[in-house]
Amino acid sequence: MSTLSNSTNTSSDSPSYSEQLAISDNPHATSLALAFKLAFNSFVISVEQEIHLSAVTGVYGDSGSGKSTLLRIIAGLEQQAVGKISLNGKSLQDSAKKQYIKAEKRQIGLVFQDSRLFPHLSVYQNLAYGAKRQKNSQLSIEKVLTLTKLKSLQHQNVTQLSGGEKQRVSIARALLAEPKLLLLDEPFSALDKSTKSQMLTILKDIQQQLNLPMLYVSHSLSELQYIADQLIVVSAGKISTVNPIHQAIHQLNNAEETSPKTSLSLTVAEHLPDYGLTRLSLPIAQDKTASIYLPLLEQTITPSLLGQKLPCMIYARDISISITKPEHSSIVNHLPATIIEIQYGKTNALVTLKSGEQQFFAQISLWSKKRLALTIQSTVYIQFKANAVHSYHYTESPKNA
Amino acid sequence: MPRLLKNTLQKTLTLAIIWLALQASHVYANEPILLQERPLRIAVAANFAPALKVLLADLPNNTNIDYQIISAATGTLYQQIKHGAPFDLFLSADSTRPALLEQAGLIIENSRKSYAYGQIALWSATQPLTSLSILNNYSGNLAIANPDTAPYGKAAKQALTYLSLWSEQKTKLVTGINISQTFQQVRSQAVPLGFVAYSQLKMNQYQGLLIPEQFYQPIEQQLVIVKTSKQVAIAQKLSDFILQTNSQATLQQLGYLPVKTEND
Amino acid sequence: MTDISADILALTTTFKMAALTTIILLLLGTPLAWYLAKWQSKWKVIFEAVVALPLVLPPTVLGFYLLLAFSPGSLPGQLWQSATGSQLAFSFSAIVIGSVLYSLPFVVQPLQKAFEQLGDHHLEAAAMLGAGPIDRFFSIVLPLTKASFITATALGFAHTVGEFGVVLMIGGNIPGETRVLSIALFDHVEAFNYANAHILSAGLLIASLLLLSMVYLLGNNVNKTQQNLAKS
Repeated sequence: MSTLSNSTNTSSDSPSYSEQLAISDNPHATSLALAFKLAFNSFVISVEQEIHLSAVTGVYGDSGSGKSTLLRIIAGLEQQAVGKISLNGKSLQDSAKKQYIKAEKRQIGLVFQDSRLFPHLSVYQNLAYGAKRQKNSQLSIEKVLTLTKLKSLQHQNVTQLSGGEKQRVSIARALLAEPKLLLLDEPFSALDKSTKSQMLTILKDIQQQLNLPMLYVSHSLSELQYIADQLIVVSAGKISTVNPIHQAIHQLNNAEETSPKTSLSLTVAEHLPDYGLTRLSLPIAQDKTASIYLPLLEQTITPSLLGQKLPCMIYARDISISITKPEHSSIVNHLPATIIEIQYGKTNALVTLKSGEQQFFAQISLWSKKRLALTIQSTVYIQFKANAVHSYHYTESPKNA
Repeated sequence: MPRLLKNTLQKTLTLAIIWLALQASHVYANEPILLQERPLRIAVAANFAPALKVLLADLPNNTNIDYQIISAATGTLYQQIKHGAPFDLFLSADSTRPALLEQAGLIIENSRKSYAYGQIALWSATQPLTSLSILNNYSGNLAIANPDTAPYGKAAKQALTYLSLWSEQKTKLVTGINISQTFQQVRSQAVPLGFVAYSQLKMNQYQGLLIPEQFYQPIEQQLVIVKTSKQVAIAQKLSDFILQTNSQATLQQLGYLPVKTEND
Repeated sequence: MTDISADILALTTTFKMAALTTIILLLLGTPLAWYLAKWQSKWKVIFEAVVALPLVLPPTVLGFYLLLAFSPGSLPGQLWQSATGSQLAFSFSAIVIGSVLYSLPFVVQPLQKAFEQLGDHHLEAAAMLGAGPIDRFFSIVLPLTKASFITATALGFAHTVGEFGVVLMIGGNIPGETRVLSIALFDHVEAFNYANAHILSAGLLIASLLLLSMVYLLGNNVNKTQQNLAKS
């Protein structure tokens, strides 16, 4: 199975001791080695894994699965956790040696779901709080204010800010403490969709500019799909191996609690304002690309988007299958594809297809499956509307611009 | 709150705290000096303190005694002396506590002297009293000091018993913790009738019925010089002064019975 | 000594005692309240009850036991004597120590409540930004619980000024050292000096009223700001 992500190489086996050593010796590697256990009353979180940190590692799980606790343990806020934690080869905790580096000394940032801004300080003072406690700071408050688009708000009282503004301050504050790793615990879950996509875009931009590895916890796959390039799934206190984001999401298609979807990254090819569409290109063969259209991304606001990879998601229920090439249809997206697997559910079938090297998932009724006489290896056409292609990328509406 | 006001308040508070700390250290620095040349400390039963002040006002100028009057309940002063209170002379409202201190070896030998006898009186702040017969069909509340702990209360009980009224009156008693409280209760008219110290009436120019001497055992008040005193000679001088004829005459005017001394 | 100058001496003694007591209470009470607020144990209630005991015990009874403890014959009294060279009972130090115990709940309880309400959220955020425990206390806890510190200071001070039984018992009513306003006032009443008593009472009432009003005004302002802040 190939991946379309540009994430770093991952290994699915537990790392051996020698591998750990190799990582420790390499100063450029960003790795987080976890081997600990924490028991609450009826809940045990037990983790043993080395995570090679990419740009943004997503942590997905239901509420109560232990994903927030995982972050708190890494941050140093759960002193009862027993075991070993090290970041980039530097030990943060080793219970056997009675070593425990306190939260304030770990050089790890944490953005909480409830921003936890200091109510007695202004926006600027909140940012300065972290900066002041940093010995050799590389980042200036001015730069971070620009990055997080907070310049105009810097003298405000933090209690008067909106939810999105608060989380921006919270992120900016964490950045100024110049952590080696930034943890984000459902930072945008309380925000409306438009604010959330705006925040995700800002966060992605920050990540690229500062090259700061992040661990991003969320229960929303679509959010993670946009921001993360690899994913860990947490369930009942255990964590899965790290997989590239699209692969990880496709693996979850078989899980009952999520609706099946196709996750892919596409290159922005051109904006077609006259038709209200943006064209993305998908390499399907060595020298051949297919086009996928989605509603127009406002190019005046983000002109640099051209040529960039855009994470997109198409729900399996939005993809339909046609035996013949659907030329006389309002549906703009159609691609030839080969069926590689059919899974039967109670009321419908989940069909896995391949167009070139790209996997797609289509959910069709059992009746359609029978009527079209679909079998493995048959070549068909998949089709979906432009509206069915979802991306979290923030497009500012012209009136706000 | 405006920032300027806030800052000013913070600064003021800080300065105040520093000033207080300095003051406190000053107190400590002064301590040894106070202990070295301190005035004679006279611990006196609260109800005798006013009379003592009147007496000491007559102290001849040439004696040049520097003294402090420390007043509290006799029981309190007794406990304090037992636990090392730095008093020189102790004027008790009874004879029991001085005797106990003597037994415990806490006083200068032979310093225990009776200095006055307290008298009780029946008093009402609402009506002038003419005869003790008012107690005979009296159905209201009657104020007395605690007969178990206060000498004046004990005397009141003895008087009531002498008059064969104790069993009849004891259910209607309002009992003060000491004779001062009983005096306040009657004075405020909260209780219409009560047994108070005759001296209390004298000092405040009230009229009451003095209870005849033979109705109760005399309330003998004694003084002692405390063993730990470093100014025994001066304390002795004051003791002599209180016991001399002139002083005893003054006490008689203040509502006490004088003590008879061989020196007279 | 005239009554007026004696009363002024009692006033300064009272003020010194109350101020020193309040400072000591804040220094001792703050960590104690913090510990009680953060400690999770079934034994905690016992410590809370011990702190609250002075509320229950009659002051003269507390004073009597302190007198036993402070007297030159007892172990604490002897330790003090050998450490400082002077007797503890009937000294200014004794009434300050007595007042500290007597007013302890008035300082610890408001602070404990404030620390409990403050919770860990802002402290965790501060730790993640590199602030150590002491740093967190001064940069986060103190500013956010200012109103309760003001209340605790006011209550501790006022309660100490008004105390009578403990000071009477362990102080010995010595002018300039342990004779405080409340005892001077009591003496005036005992000695039928009602005019002096009225003046002293009125002065004490007015001064306390002004002081407490000022403190509560300050506290209210801080409270309002904090309530606004808490709405976020």
